[in-house]
Amino acid sequence: MNSFSSSHADPIVAQNLVRYFGDVKAVDGINITVKTGEIFGFLGPNGAGKSTAVRMLTTLLRPTSGTATVAGFDVAKHPDEVRRRIGVALQDAAIDPLMTGTELLRLQAVLYGIPQAQMKNRASELLERVGLTAAADRRVGTYSGGMRRRLDLALALIHQPTVLFLDEPTTGLDPMSRMSLWEEVRRLNNEGTTVMLTTQYLEEADQLADRIAIIDAGKIVREGKPQDLKAGVGFPTLLITVPSDQTERAKAVLATFGDMRPTAEGSLGVGLRGGANVVTDVVRKLDEASVRVQHLEINEPSLDDVFAEATGHRLEGAKA
Amino acid sequence: MSTNVTTTQVMTAPVADLVARPTTMRSARGLAHRGIQNIRRLPSAFFPAMAMPVFTMIAFAGTFAAITRLPGFPTDRSVNWFMPLGICFGAAFSGIGLGFSTIRDIETRFYDRLLMSPAPRRSLIIGPLLTAWVRVAILCAFVIPMGMLLGVRFTSGLLGLFTLVVAAVGVSTISLGWGLGLAFRFRDMRGAAVMQLTMFVVLYLSSAQMPLPLMRGWLHNVARINPTTNILRLAREGLVLKTSPDYMSWSNTWGGLLAIAGMATLTLVFARRGLDKLDK
Repeated sequence: MNSFSSSHADPIVAQNLVRYFGDVKAVDGINITVKTGEIFGFLGPNGAGKSTAVRMLTTLLRPTSGTATVAGFDVAKHPDEVRRRIGVALQDAAIDPLMTGTELLRLQAVLYGIPQAQMKNRASELLERVGLTAAADRRVGTYSGGMRRRLDLALALIHQPTVLFLDEPTTGLDPMSRMSLWEEVRRLNNEGTTVMLTTQYLEEADQLADRIAIIDAGKIVREGKPQDLKAGVGFPTLLITVPSDQTERAKAVLATFGDMRPTAEGSLGVGLRGGANVVTDVVRKLDEASVRVQHLEINEPSLDDVFAEATGHRLEGAKA
Repeated sequence: MSTNVTTTQVMTAPVADLVARPTTMRSARGLAHRGIQNIRRLPSAFFPAMAMPVFTMIAFAGTFAAITRLPGFPTDRSVNWFMPLGICFGAAFSGIGLGFSTIRDIETRFYDRLLMSPAPRRSLIIGPLLTAWVRVAILCAFVIPMGMLLGVRFTSGLLGLFTLVVAAVGVSTISLGWGLGLAFRFRDMRGAAVMQLTMFVVLYLSSAQMPLPLMRGWLHNVARINPTTNILRLAREGLVLKTSPDYMSWSNTWGGLLAIAGMATLTLVFARRGLDKLDK
């Protein structure tokens, strides 16, 4: 086997990846395999270790231990080969506000060795693709948050990477910009680009990802297709709100219908063993126990339920 | 090398392999272009490098005009003595100014973009180096004519101008290496304070203000072994009186060139090692 060879045909493979910052174990032995052509979602709250993991996979941080190959190359041994094949849009769009969109794309093209003759066309194509042609010659400092993200995406695509890392690509964006970015990610994926997406938004992971890994406190706690993970939770969740002095009585009633589930403060949740059909029975029993229900809703299993079941707490910002 | 790419890589990376590998000089030129553009777009960042030499030249030459009356002082014009000092100060600011810019890029995470690119790592040092040299060219083009208006006279003609520019380029190279090395290690504005402090200490503990033979005590001893003294001698050798022992000669030149080569090598290696540690 030669020096560049790899035993992995999958574009992203991490094995027992660990990263310490001083005494803090930010990433705790994660294992990931992303298949060619997949959109892989990396879901977790702030500080869970998503960005640290991505920084290791994109050669920005050296793993403390463990191995990772991206596009067939070991990130620690052949970082330059990895860099030539990946595109990365980081959480905080790292763009120089003094430069224009065109200038940034040209600099990026130079750094990726794109021949001079192709640079202009490639930059124009990408600006058009992300809808920034009109703003191409404006300084990036004048761009809105959404425009910066789109430019960041264009920069990540300058060399037509086979693997694209998107670290929280829609954080802070308005709904329209978010949808537009999702569409672009889907389009890229349809063109054959493998995408690894980190997000703290459940809906984003649910909408975009073929498979997801849920990370909490540096560890992957669940991994699979969103629909399989949700099905694994089983029963729908009944959420009720009751006066605070009636909480204990309500809990006692709900516990007879299924397992209590973690909820936001002020409400109670139960996984209904009997499904949605038993809701009327629950309401009757609560009434018999003199519990006044102020609010009631029934939710089919969501990724938030998967997260809650795996970690014992709800995903921060899940309802954002 | 063609046998080094397996079927796996070809399958996973067909497009990237069509892209030429980035070269050091092309990437460095791209980064230098950005640095030069930013001089125009953010002039306040370059202003100290221009203001300091002018201030040094005018203020010191005026305040210490009588210094030329000291027996053994190598020139009869104080501005001849202080203009090279001002230019060396400006050149040092040009170098460490790029250290500041690098800290800003690290803090805003723009530097991540450079680190994630396949551009050869040395281009991340050579690019700012080219920018520093352009800054020095602008500095010399501004300060030397101004000095001549104030009475500066090159006693050895164009050769004196050349050695002054060589010294300035050398100082900017040394200070750039130092600035980048500190930026890569501190990664925040604490590094900027260390850059400035050390630059002032190294420059002032030399023959910056007074010729070495006229210095006394510990300052003389420190200045004698400070390589900056040799660089300043190189910068001034074309501006002192022909009768001075410091006038243009090979023996007054090689020490400065050696000091530049040695200090530049050390600081650039310091920068490169810092760069290599950024992913730790």
